[in-house]
Amino acid sequence: MYQEQAQPSLALPEAEAMLPRRPSVLENILRFIRRKPLGAFGMLVVFFLIAMTLGTPKAEFGMPSLPSRPIGFELGEPWMGRYDPDETFQNEATGRTLQYASPSADHWFGTDKSGHDIWSLIVSGARRSLFVGLWALAVATLLGTIIGVVSGYFGGWADTGTQRLMDALQSFPPLITLILIVTINPFTEGPSLTIAAFALGFVGITSVQRIVRGVVLSAREQPYVEAARVLGATNGRIMVYHILPNITAAIIVIFSIGLGSVILAEAALAFIVPEQVPRDPSWGIILSEERAVIVDHPWPGIFSASAIALAVLGFNLAGDALRDVLDPRLRVG
Amino acid sequence: MQQYILRRSLLNVVVLLLVATMVFLVLRIDPDNVIRNRAQGCQMDTYEECTRVAKQELGLDQPLYEQYVDYMSDIARLDFGKSFYTKESVINQIKDRAGPSIELGLLQIIVALVVALPVGVISAIRQDTWMDYILRFVAIAFLGIPVFIMAVFVILATARFAGGTFLPDWFGPDTVWTDFFDDPVENMRRMTGPAVLGGLGTGAIIMRFLRSQMLEVLRQDYVRTAWSKGLRERVIVMRHALKNALIPVLTVVGLLLGAIVSGNVILETLYNIPGIGFFAVNSIRQGDYPLVQGLVLVVAVSLVFVNLMVDVAYAWLDPRIRYS
Repeated sequence: MYQEQAQPSLALPEAEAMLPRRPSVLENILRFIRRKPLGAFGMLVVFFLIAMTLGTPKAEFGMPSLPSRPIGFELGEPWMGRYDPDETFQNEATGRTLQYASPSADHWFGTDKSGHDIWSLIVSGARRSLFVGLWALAVATLLGTIIGVVSGYFGGWADTGTQRLMDALQSFPPLITLILIVTINPFTEGPSLTIAAFALGFVGITSVQRIVRGVVLSAREQPYVEAARVLGATNGRIMVYHILPNITAAIIVIFSIGLGSVILAEAALAFIVPEQVPRDPSWGIILSEERAVIVDHPWPGIFSASAIALAVLGFNLAGDALRDVLDPRLRVG
Repeated sequence: MQQYILRRSLLNVVVLLLVATMVFLVLRIDPDNVIRNRAQGCQMDTYEECTRVAKQELGLDQPLYEQYVDYMSDIARLDFGKSFYTKESVINQIKDRAGPSIELGLLQIIVALVVALPVGVISAIRQDTWMDYILRFVAIAFLGIPVFIMAVFVILATARFAGGTFLPDWFGPDTVWTDFFDDPVENMRRMTGPAVLGGLGTGAIIMRFLRSQMLEVLRQDYVRTAWSKGLRERVIVMRHALKNALIPVLTVVGLLLGAIVSGNVILETLYNIPGIGFFAVNSIRQGDYPLVQGLVLVVAVSLVFVNLMVDVAYAWLDPRIRYS
């Protein structure tokens, strides 16, 4: 009897009522928009970019054609493209190729030199920018995290040696290194997007590992790591289960800010050496090729440049806002 | 302090050795390509003869460790070999190209500082006013929009609206290059476009950094003391706050200084400025491996040493920093 009376059956709901209600997902999103309007704008751009790459998967999916293009290109025609990007249009009155048409209802962004629809080219180019960027960041984050965690966790001579090696890597000018790797490329015949993506990732390793190492250095000294070691956990176990969860926020921020700079680097690469990258529709290649005639026919140049600028701006703004929300300590440069 | 400089210099020697080794290995990934480029335009009877001679001349027929020793001793004597195409000494060619690059880099940093310092300070002391919002928005635009796209638009705009009428293609690219010492006015005219564009791009980074530093410093106790002493706002901001806010900004400027030789590949290409970046891209395209090797090494060395100098300057400027 006594035990039943002691059950605090009434106290619990009261205590719950005193706690503030947990905001719903929608409320969280609205608060994010109110507090970070620029970040919300960036997110909008990012979602639009992702929507551009969507398309019906091809009937025969099969193995991804890895050697020349990274995963992601197996998706069929993007839904947002109005025409096939390879289709050339003719002027109906004269029957000649519709060169450099101005924007109209038929061709929202006009046509280019060979009569291709620019809006469709830009929609196809979005897929390339995004997937090359994702691949590059996957490479950079994976290798950078491994190097950063191991180097930061063990410290001592291993750390000093690794960091000097990273210093050496960092003293190569990134864009020149990128062009050098893509040009030398002994792995494939002719230009390859996969190699470009790996090269972009390789260039990014140093900055990723530095951020990760910084987080690891502070996490290493935490009491729970010591506790795990006292309990007899191996180094590998401590690194995977106790240190790695600390850098999740850092990885998300690296991905969102990094995608902006990788997209820019890919466009810059295609802009400077268009002959060393594959000929799929690409914002950088369009800009590079239409630059010569930009004074007389500005539309292709303007739209491809705006696409690059908007994508980079969007990822930067979204990444900045995400960083402020997730982990304000991660300010880099 | 001396000990710190000595230790850093020794570490830098290690870094430079690693850089040289990496360049050595990268250019030996695909030796056939190097030999092919070297053998171009040779007058022998058969192609095999040509490649054999080229291989011998490049020393690629020797074992790898002997090649490495030769390569290192050549580098130590600053002998980077001769260009495959022009047959001129690499180091002399690089010397000619360094001038315009360094000039452009310095001009950009001057533009960046001249714009960013006042803008950053104003934006911080007038925090959350319309002035602050406008300045920050412009800075974000310059951060987000890549410099080469700005350059394309500026070239388009000047050609369309200002070509020949006023500002005689001041911002536009040109094909003929004039050295600063031959004709300073003409040289400056050529430099204006890339210097302003690149300078505003880096100025945006400095401005954002300075603003957040100023906001932090302006909330500190000693600044409040200065206010309560009745000092004028100008004195507080310029003499008390700015001095302390500037020190972290120096790091950013230092990083930009490090990229001074190589940071302008795109702007140099767009504006036809015969600098290191433009030259490097061209020599990679032509497969001129001695040139590529020399350029990458020179750029890496300059970066490492500029970073060392910035660190030393940093310790000298801020007496609170004591490297132990």
